[in-house]
Amino acid sequence: MKFSLPIFDVKNLYFIVDNQEILSNVSFEIFAQDYIAIIGPNGGGKTTLIRILLGLEKETKGEVRIFGKRIKDFKEWHKIGYVPQRASHVDASFPATTEDVVKMGRTSKRKLFSKESDEDRIRVEDAMRKMDVYHLKDKMIGTLSGGQRQRVMCARALASRPEILILDEPNTGVDVSSQQRFYELLRELNTKEKITIVFITHDIGVIADDIARLFTINQKAVICNNPKEALSCEEMSELYGIDAHLLHNHKHEH
Amino acid sequence: MLEIFEYEFMQRAFLAGMIIAVLASISGTFIVLRRYSMISETLAHSALVGVAVGLVAGYNPLWMAVIMAVISAWLIEYLRYSFALYSDAVLAIFLSGSLAIAVIIVSLGGAFNNSLFSYLFGSILAVSDEDLITIFTFGIVCLSVLLIFAKEFYFIAYDEEVAKTSGIKVRLLNFLLVSIVAIIIALSIRVVGSLLIGALMVIPTVSALQYRQGFVKTLLISLFFAIFSVASGMTLSFYMSLPSGATIVLSVLVIFIISLVANRR
Ligand SMILES: Nc1ncnc2c1ncn2[C@@H]1O[C@H](COP(=O)(O)OP(=O)(O)OP(=O)(O)O)[C@@H](O)[C@H]1O
Ligand SMILES: [Mg+2]
Repeated sequence: MKFSLPIFDVKNLYFIVDNQEILSNVSFEIFAQDYIAIIGPNGGGKTTLIRILLGLEKETKGEVRIFGKRIKDFKEWHKIGYVPQRASHVDASFPATTEDVVKMGRTSKRKLFSKESDEDRIRVEDAMRKMDVYHLKDKMIGTLSGGQRQRVMCARALASRPEILILDEPNTGVDVSSQQRFYELLRELNTKEKITIVFITHDIGVIADDIARLFTINQKAVICNNPKEALSCEEMSELYGIDAHLLHNHKHEH
Repeated sequence: MLEIFEYEFMQRAFLAGMIIAVLASISGTFIVLRRYSMISETLAHSALVGVAVGLVAGYNPLWMAVIMAVISAWLIEYLRYSFALYSDAVLAIFLSGSLAIAVIIVSLGGAFNNSLFSYLFGSILAVSDEDLITIFTFGIVCLSVLLIFAKEFYFIAYDEEVAKTSGIKVRLLNFLLVSIVAIIIALSIRVVGSLLIGALMVIPTVSALQYRQGFVKTLLISLFFAIFSVASGMTLSFYMSLPSGATIVLSVLVIFIISLVANRR
């Protein structure tokens, strides 16, 4: 696996604002079919890191490559699905049904002047079914629950058939059983659809058994290739700012 | 009712009005959803600078209005992006700035007259053949762009950043949208008037939103409201000799109130 081209290749990345290092010398690679959780304290730089990967923020120093290309030369954005932090907070009166929102995911795949194709329709329906929101397709997005909306946002990201799905705290404000189901869906996408998954979360307890790799981000990054060990490793607890054994124990509380 | 079409000026005004209604409601939907309604008000005042230049220097005021509104739109977008200024503050600055410049030009040129009044509040008598051709030509171009990029504009309105990360050229399209809005506003000042066009852009969409429908239906409802209020406003203007902009805005306000009450939760 390591011989294939990484999806993301980050080398010595720095993000500095007003002389303050938000991210400091971060390096890692993300390969196809990875299943990665990113954790870290509030303000640790997780969202910033992801925004840099997506070209929404410009790195101060270092190198970021997507599918081997520099961000400014990268064109195949449909390969990347993104669900931002607080994506489920939508304006209640925005005129969009679930289907309207999921269709947005096809926008950039569309050729100019062309109407909706059969493929578009199939992909939209497929994405809605995978995220289990098909029964909500004619409902207004503003009337859905937080957890339902979150799944709609994921369905939109899936509609372009991405190779990698990046989710920023997809489960804030979602009850535990819905969370569990959501992670099962993600896991399925990873194993059955071979989609690479990267997500930020604060509740590793829920998913610790599943994830393949764990990134801990607090200005610096620690990459643990064996998350079960990672939860008790010294280096990580230092970064997180608390005793990692607590995290470990936290996991068994669920 | 049909007697009003016996007059050629009314035929011209009606045609122009229908084109404006279609353009204003569709483009208005996108700017309302982007929470950018105030730009219509601001650009209308910038268009007034063009009218002032046109009246004083003897150029076609409609053309000058288009040019000034577009320049102003570009400046506003440039300032927003390059200096990260608050959008509403930039809009406020441009609104009063434009009005000040327009008033000075008109005062110095001694052009305070009835013709200026018609540009402020609209007039069904004012649409010439030449105006109609200008409105039609620009109108076709604007409508095409709006329809071609409707899905992109909609996505950007919903979530600009996700649109960007899915490969949509957000910045370019934002420039395109404000340019089109600028042109549409400038075209509208003949029939609706620069002080009243903002209402025709915003209120049909806001009324349509009350019905809580999906994108396409909302767009169609808003379109219907705009066409209906322009038609009834013009008829009213004809029979009561009132400025057409005012009667159109009054009609659309009635629709708004009905929509609000009918959909009260
Ligand atoms: N463009 C920017 N300008 C100034 N400060 C920034 C910028 N981007 C990020 N920061 C700062 O970087 C820090 C990290 O923010 P970030 O949103 O990445 O944290 P996070 O790890 O996602 O936190 P949370 O868990 O609360 O979501 C914050 O202190 C934030 O204020
Ligand atoms: Mg964050």
